Amino acid sequence: MERWHRLAREVVEFPSLEIIKSHLDGSALVKLGSTTVICGVKAELAAPTADSANKGCIVPNVELPSLCSERFRSGPPGKEAQAVSQFIADVIENSQMIVKEDLCIANGKLAWVLYCDIICLDYDGNLLDASVFALLAALKNVQLPSVIINEETGLSEVNLKQKTPLIIRKHPVATSFAVFDDTVLVDPTAEEEDLATGTVTIVTDEDGRLCSVHKPGGSLLTGAKLQDCITRAITRHKEVKKLIDKVIKSIMPK
Amino acid sequence: MPLDHRRLCGPEESQPPSLWAALAAEDEDEEGAGAAPRDPCSLRPLFARAGLLSQAQGSAYVELGSGTKVLCAAWGPREAAEPGPGRLLCEFRRAPFAGRGARGRPGGLAEREAEREAAAALREALEPAVRLGRYPRARLAVSALLLQDGGSALAAAVSAAALALADAGVEMYDLAVGCALCRPPAATAAAWMLQPAEPEERRAAARLTLALLPALNQVSAVLGGGQGGPPEDWAQALRLGLDGCHRQYPVLRQSLLRAAQRRDAAAAAAAAASVA
Repeated sequence: MERWHRLAREVVEFPSLEIIKSHLDGSALVKLGSTTVICGVKAELAAPTADSANKGCIVPNVELPSLCSERFRSGPPGKEAQAVSQFIADVIENSQMIVKEDLCIANGKLAWVLYCDIICLDYDGNLLDASVFALLAALKNVQLPSVIINEETGLSEVNLKQKTPLIIRKHPVATSFAVFDDTVLVDPTAEEEDLATGTVTIVTDEDGRLCSVHKPGGSLLTGAKLQDCITRAITRHKEVKKLIDKVIKSIMPK
Repeated sequence: MPLDHRRLCGPEESQPPSLWAALAAEDEDEEGAGAAPRDPCSLRPLFARAGLLSQAQGSAYVELGSGTKVLCAAWGPREAAEPGPGRLLCEFRRAPFAGRGARGRPGGLAEREAEREAAAALREALEPAVRLGRYPRARLAVSALLLQDGGSALAAAVSAAALALADAGVEMYDLAVGCALCRPPAATAAAWMLQPAEPEERRAAARLTLALLPALNQVSAVLGGGQGGPPEDWAQALRLGLDGCHRQYPVLRQSLLRAAQRRDAAAAAAAAASVA
């Protein structure tokens, strides 16, 4: 059976909007064809939990407001939004993109919490890919202020002027495919997703290693096809990484 | 606090780092206040663009010079179950990262209340502008998303929503233009200021938001309150606000015109491509 790969839609990424920088620690807007996703990262301080005293926290929150498409209703997050939130949390965990120990400031007393809010502004399919790109781009922009705990008073002192970039260990990139019985289409639009009999999402990191394969039910996929998808995902990773690096370099202060 | 089962939870409580950087930040804040007060009648630059979302029938994005960014989508008439004249359903959402301080927990009670109030205000401002009589048994939906709050958020939302409805092809009498004013506390020179920025709005003693239909010169909504002073002051504030709305009107009209031209060009290109 023939497999049909057409070119994935072009990813256009906008460097973090200058003005949002004053409010947010990191932000990014990603357009994948028509699908538009904005991610804002806010870093706050909290006491770590008792069982992970040396770990910080990353809390992804995906919102699909009713303005992105008619299929989503206003109100609390529906099934799609919850599923994508969980997927993003799994990607962060599996790829070890950010090591939680890096977020700890003082063992048992203070740690960073990164709230990553991903809002879809325009839904034309392939939300998972766009969300992961946006999250990665936003996190790359994050600069954390330096925090010292004053020994005598026990209070923390934050120096907003002195910032260090967040340490990102791995750069996971997701590539989604729509399965139509025998053919596999990369980067499906909303119309294609509706007609597909199944979807597969592959997440790889920059060493060409597999971080996660997400195949929520759907029609069967042979091993050979899956292998091809993985190879395609690894190629896509290189293209996207180049784009992210180019954009980050363009916004770095000279 | 009840657990929100639909979202991933972080720690129960967290504070923004700016709380502990308080000393340095407060100094900067005071400096900002003491700096040369801006001309109260000056309008900040406004950026408006219509027709940018692919999934909604009509959409608009409005950005104010102070940093407020609002994105709005509108859908044309859809059949409603109840008989009677057409209804306009409005929704207003704040992005969790919109505010300057701590990130509010999305879905919290206070947040939902504020959103509901803003949605009701939006509806009040837009209903007189839309020809609902032309859409019996139908409902029109408008959804606004506030991406960044730099002051005058509701006013920007009104303008964006009216633009989005017009972009969706809904029949309207006129565009509703929103304008916000605030009056600083009585200690300093107590003149009303147009389109306050977020710090000015926070410190204000009185706030006012106006929505005007400029071509018909009719006011569709006035919302506000606070310690404003004698009634003549409020009348003066209204006049200032109306003037502000009139000055913004050409920018909004231009953006609609440009969106229509872009759509025509795209349709022509698509038709040519399909013929060829």
